[in-house]
Amino acid sequence: MAAAKTRTSTFSRNLSTAPPSHGPGLKCGPNGTVFLSSGIPDLDKILGGGFPLGSLVMVMEDAEAPHHMLLLRNFMAQGLVLGQHLLYSSPARDPRGFLGTLPSPAASKDDKSRERDPDQEKGLRIAWQYKKYFGENQLDGQRDGKHEYSNEFDLRKPLERHFINGPRIDCVSIQDSDLSTLRDRCATFLSQFPRNDGSISCAGRIAIQSFCAPQCAYSNMEWDMLSFIRSLKSMVRSSNSVAIVTFPPSLLSPSFCKRWQHMADTLLSVKAIQDEDKELAQLLTGYQDMVGFLNVHKVARINTQVPVILEATTFSIKLQKRRYLVLECLNQAPVDGSSGTSYGTSGGCSSSSKTGNLDF
Amino acid sequence: LRDGALEGELAPALTIKDSVPFALQVFSHVISQLFSSILAGKSQSRGLVVVSFSRSPSFYLDLLKKGTDVASIQILDCYSDPLGWKDQLREVKHMDKLYNSIIELGKGLVGGGKIRFSIAIDSADEMLRHAPVSSVARLLSNLRSHDQISSIFWLLHSDLHEARVTAVLEYLSSIVASLEPENFSLIKHNSKKGKFHVRFKKRNGRVRVMSEEVHIEQSGINFINQGLVPKVQFSLQLSEKERIDKANVVLPFEHQGNGKPIQIYDGRRSLVDGSGEIIYYRDSDDEMPDSDEDPDDDLDI
Repeated sequence: MAAAKTRTSTFSRNLSTAPPSHGPGLKCGPNGTVFLSSGIPDLDKILGGGFPLGSLVMVMEDAEAPHHMLLLRNFMAQGLVLGQHLLYSSPARDPRGFLGTLPSPAASKDDKSRERDPDQEKGLRIAWQYKKYFGENQLDGQRDGKHEYSNEFDLRKPLERHFINGPRIDCVSIQDSDLSTLRDRCATFLSQFPRNDGSISCAGRIAIQSFCAPQCAYSNMEWDMLSFIRSLKSMVRSSNSVAIVTFPPSLLSPSFCKRWQHMADTLLSVKAIQDEDKELAQLLTGYQDMVGFLNVHKVARINTQVPVILEATTFSIKLQKRRYLVLECLNQAPVDGSSGTSYGTSGGCSSSSKTGNLDF
Repeated sequence: LRDGALEGELAPALTIKDSVPFALQVFSHVISQLFSSILAGKSQSRGLVVVSFSRSPSFYLDLLKKGTDVASIQILDCYSDPLGWKDQLREVKHMDKLYNSIIELGKGLVGGGKIRFSIAIDSADEMLRHAPVSSVARLLSNLRSHDQISSIFWLLHSDLHEARVTAVLEYLSSIVASLEPENFSLIKHNSKKGKFHVRFKKRNGRVRVMSEEVHIEQSGINFINQGLVPKVQFSLQLSEKERIDKANVVLPFEHQGNGKPIQIYDGRRSLVDGSGEIIYYRDSDDEMPDSDEDPDDDLDI
């Protein structure tokens, strides 16, 4: 897995007071940012901790696959499980119906199986191309605190009713309402979490699904939608919350599509995979289990000028045992010696496996 | 389309898009296939509502009647008077009214409750002519999420619209079928062949792509079954010679009772007497000679 390497500088903060303790589900990161989990532990690792508070995350959907719903479900369920407030809006007439499909946290049996004896591994001499598989074990140091921040979700088990019926959820249907009512709802929601220098008691999450869906009356008013996003971004920046907006880029004109992408602090996109594609099956290992691709285009860096450069930007979305959402790097399948395929695949491959130059 | 919708999910929707003149035949083909499976009870839906914009309702009645009863079909006539000049009620512009009338017709067909029906929209182009894209989109998505609708499909001429409109309708549908003429330089009226590409959006998020060749003949439309057989490692199709040979194989129980003595090949004797022999050397002489006997003789019951 790719992990963002945090740069430690020679400057160190003079912390005269103890760092403020935050509410559940929040983690401190470098440069004074506070993170919230996306609900998918692999994605948190890729992004360097999670979504920073005050950022706007945009997800570009693929019209042919519902993978953005998987991301939204995990995000929303994570917030509910940790007691964070949630505002959800979708183009359906009754958005509450979607809440019934939220997953429940998985039982944590996996923790035990992943603990390894670190002493044993020191004797191992690992070939260089396999080192990437072992790097992640060193990060598993703080497994106890993990469940307070993020959970793995079991997509087959629905979330318990008491989470959904609580007072912390608000739903808005954007089919019939116009942008100003939506903006007012967001503003009232976000006023509950103003940002100040003290400790953060609770955080909020906003999830807007398929923002420019054609059923909405405002969907051809492109400038208005853009200014909504800009005002949402500024409201979110001055509060302790994270907003996710998903949209299908094929329904926007290309210039607006670019403008929306520039608005995002963190930009992700999901893509569908063709079934029974022989070429792709030959090129990638694990093709059969994949349901889609996730691309990370931009990672939010709010308090610093240093950009994040990821080792890999394309990940495959797999459902382990049809329950757990897992993101993996793409691995090029072993190529036989006679044919030399080039690196020109559509997904960026992170492993540097050799192509067929070994002719004996 | 035949299997229909699951509880709580949006109904499957098909967009047939094309830019060649024979799309209407494809549409008629699909509609008659669906209707025959409805009548045969093979599909989830129990009735069909046809919303006809570009062809007169009597065309559909003739197409689908063919000796069966028409109790399972209702046609919403949006063809005769779309702008409501003669009769105010027939005006097509209001998508809400259209939605209500479709639902009413459907309910009248199958009753209330859990029984579902299918909808065929003759031409989405006409709808888009009268109403803005967002209302048409809203109509279609509300229809898809209605409990009693099993499946819905429509025809769209993609060369009549801007790319965004086609993208919107594709976004709303779970299956997209597109027709291409065989050779782009020969788009004349007498070009009778084409390719039919289908993209299925499966529930697990993968997309299945299939394509077939299409031939238009006098009597109807003919799909040459090239690509719909799934690509597996085995060759599932037979060549001519193979087909003849297959027909010539006499199955074991077929030749019994013909009057000839029944010969059952048991592996120990060769078929033609005397031309071959099986010579068997025992591995060792110590081996007990009872290996040919019935092993059950040892049982002591």
